[in-house]
Amino acid sequence: MKRTIILLALLALSAGLRAQEKDVTKKSTSADSLMNAMNTDEKTGPVVIFKSSRMILSQSTETVRKKNLNFLVIHRFGDFAGSNGGGKTYFGLDAVSDVYIGFEYGLSDNLNIDIGRTTIGGLADLELKYAILRQSRDGSSPFAITLLGEAGVAPYGSYVAFSDRTAFLGQVMIARKFSPWLSLQLTPTFVRDYTSPLLYPGNQQQFFALMGMARLKLSNHMGFIIDYGHPFSSSRTTANGFYDPLGFGIEIETGGHVFTINVTNSRAVSEINYLSNTQSNYSKGQFRVGFTISRMFDFNHKENSK
Amino acid sequence: MKFISVILLAWMSIIQAGQDIYTCKNAKINLYSSAPIEDIEANSNAGVSVYNATTGELDFSLPIRSLHFPKALMESHFNEDYMESDKYPKATFKGKLQEHPDLTKDGSYPISVTGELSVHGVNQMRTITGNLKINNGVLTMTSEFMVKCADHHIEIPQIVFHNIAQSIRIRVDATYTLYK
Repeated sequence: MKRTIILLALLALSAGLRAQEKDVTKKSTSADSLMNAMNTDEKTGPVVIFKSSRMILSQSTETVRKKNLNFLVIHRFGDFAGSNGGGKTYFGLDAVSDVYIGFEYGLSDNLNIDIGRTTIGGLADLELKYAILRQSRDGSSPFAITLLGEAGVAPYGSYVAFSDRTAFLGQVMIARKFSPWLSLQLTPTFVRDYTSPLLYPGNQQQFFALMGMARLKLSNHMGFIIDYGHPFSSSRTTANGFYDPLGFGIEIETGGHVFTINVTNSRAVSEINYLSNTQSNYSKGQFRVGFTISRMFDFNHKENSK
Repeated sequence: MKFISVILLAWMSIIQAGQDIYTCKNAKINLYSSAPIEDIEANSNAGVSVYNATTGELDFSLPIRSLHFPKALMESHFNEDYMESDKYPKATFKGKLQEHPDLTKDGSYPISVTGELSVHGVNQMRTITGNLKINNGVLTMTSEFMVKCADHHIEIPQIVFHNIAQSIRIRVDATYTLYK
């Protein structure tokens, strides 16, 4: 009897000890595991693929947020070298190839309305830009897709019909941030440019084009951009004096402002103009310095705070 | 037989002792910095915290991306450029309460917590003071302290220097209930 009691007591004691042991480990790790259980993974929301809506030639998949206004000045100087460049024009800085002044406004976080005007052809454009898909942080959407529709009118100069003053552009921008250091964008494009001069027989006024753009992060506030476009047009060949627009640039972001300093062979800023009519060639010294200044204004100031 | 019941009672009391864990799932965090051009403010109510009243250990964790700014661009810059939120998604604090307040007595007590504050992947030993309010088993801890950007290797480039203060004020307001 005594023996069984001792045995039972020992059993209970060991059980108690084991429970206590478990309890102790529970106590020291429970806080950690509790923390882990309570921590929600903040893997939601879209990935910011690019720092600005305008790169060098391309627009990016990024949109201006709701009630934000982006003011843009895009400038291309004259030819750096060649017959129109060199020391006599201070390497193109005395000449202006093209200036674009525009505004982008966020009707919603995903829908933008943009207006702008460019020197070449006096082309005034109205754009709608809609982000239909964002690259998501949790990986459920591996890339972003943004649609761009642009209608342009060249109000000055002599044309036969009003339709000869118009130009249209449609783009499907597909972008992905592959790593914090690299973002890529491919943009299938359709151009319908009735304003392009009929300099030679067989000028295609409607054609497809493809744009490719890469952004390499240099630091948190700086990036290197390569931007390239190729029109698939039987009339836009090197033999006819056309070249593919290609740009390189450094982007500097300073919180509210984004500056891009670039070098391009393209004289034009507007997509319609540079895809349908880039007749300048790097090897002839027909490249230029250019810059983009973007300033963001936010109109939902106090509303959202608290 | 009496012996067994004594052991059982002791065992149960041990389990009882292991239950003094308080949790908070929606701690309010306010970030504020004053600068010549514009004041910067952000709020989150997604902080989580565990307080072990037996050992005095206090753990805190905040997902950086849960901090929301009135300006969308500011929030984007905060996450992308300064906090590098994809690399360092959380700010944490692991510390110990210096005092041993009696949680059964309602009242308000000044407290100080010593431990490691981890922000932007950089740990700093800190003693943070605050206040503990006990009301019928519900604990409310509040605190206000400064975090220096340089202490946590948060780089502010010269070009935007004037926009951002070198020290950020953090306010914490956390209400804990007993975890069962």
